[in-house]
Amino acid sequence: MLIQFILLLIIIVIVFWLVVKFRSGHINGWQFTVWLGIWLVASAAIINPSWTNSLANVVGVGRGADLVFYVAIVTLFYGIFKLLLRIENLEKQLTQFVREQTINEHKEE
Amino acid sequence: MTTLILIPAYKEGKQIFKVISDIKTKVKISFEVLVIDDGSGDNTGFEAKRAGAKVLRHSINRGQGASLKTGVSFAIDHPNYDKVVFFDADGQMSAEEIPLLCQALDDGYDVALGSRFLGKVIDMPPIKRLTLKLALIFTRLTSGLRLTDTHNGFQAWKVEALKKINLTQDRMAYASQIINEVSRCQLKFKEVPVTIRYTEYSKAKGQSIGNSIKILWDLFIK
Repeated sequence: MLIQFILLLIIIVIVFWLVVKFRSGHINGWQFTVWLGIWLVASAAIINPSWTNSLANVVGVGRGADLVFYVAIVTLFYGIFKLLLRIENLEKQLTQFVREQTINEHKEE
Repeated sequence: MTTLILIPAYKEGKQIFKVISDIKTKVKISFEVLVIDDGSGDNTGFEAKRAGAKVLRHSINRGQGASLKTGVSFAIDHPNYDKVVFFDADGQMSAEEIPLLCQALDDGYDVALGSRFLGKVIDMPPIKRLTLKLALIFTRLTSGLRLTDTHNGFQAWKVEALKKINLTQDRMAYASQIINEVSRCQLKFKEVPVTIRYTEYSKAKGQSIGNSIKILWDLFIK
């Protein structure tokens, strides 16, 4: 099907980008492995949709597509939550840095 | 010992000189003015210095709560200050009432919280009044303190009391957090009647109603 071809093409581009980021040192080996694993599982599900159907039946969901949708929603919300925590932590560090810089500048005057 | 009048300011170049001059004219106790220029990028710091204030400058904007905490850190680091008065840069507050708040500290209180609803409110927009009343209910629920006003930045603190509290909110949510800290640290507080005058300038600079939602988000999520 055309949609399978398009989705696989997108994943190939993403994996290529992932390799570039890994080789340039932007992500570490652990991050590379986890993301590569996620995209390989996604590729397997695209190539063989009945595989997700079987899994869906095991966990009591009607269709494989529904299972993928549920897992994606939970994963995305978790990801957003983690990102918010990380941003908040960075904000606090930034404020602390700016405060120390401000007070030190005053001491030097 | 000296009182530090702490003014967080963000893009207040048009008003700050007048606000500081007003303080210098009307306040007769021993004091110094410290302006935290919160990464304004305009002439706020220059105007504040011209008016005779000490100025500390955040290189980037970090919010009113962060600015106050910078000023509080400064006060704690300098043992010549025994009191800190929080004062706004937008001209809403009345400088002649600063000694009234300081008097409460001399009477033995740790904190003097200005209350516009015990004092006088001039030209307050109705929606602002409604928002403040809702915020008051919220403050009573979270802090357990039965105050008549909340989110009123006009306050005086003993430096010893400031050493006990922990302010982590960088933006406007600090105003709720500071009341919660009064409660948590069991500080002895008094509400002092003050006058808040809403002008076209201060209304334009002030908090929008949408910010109330942002404050709740900061308090509960952050």
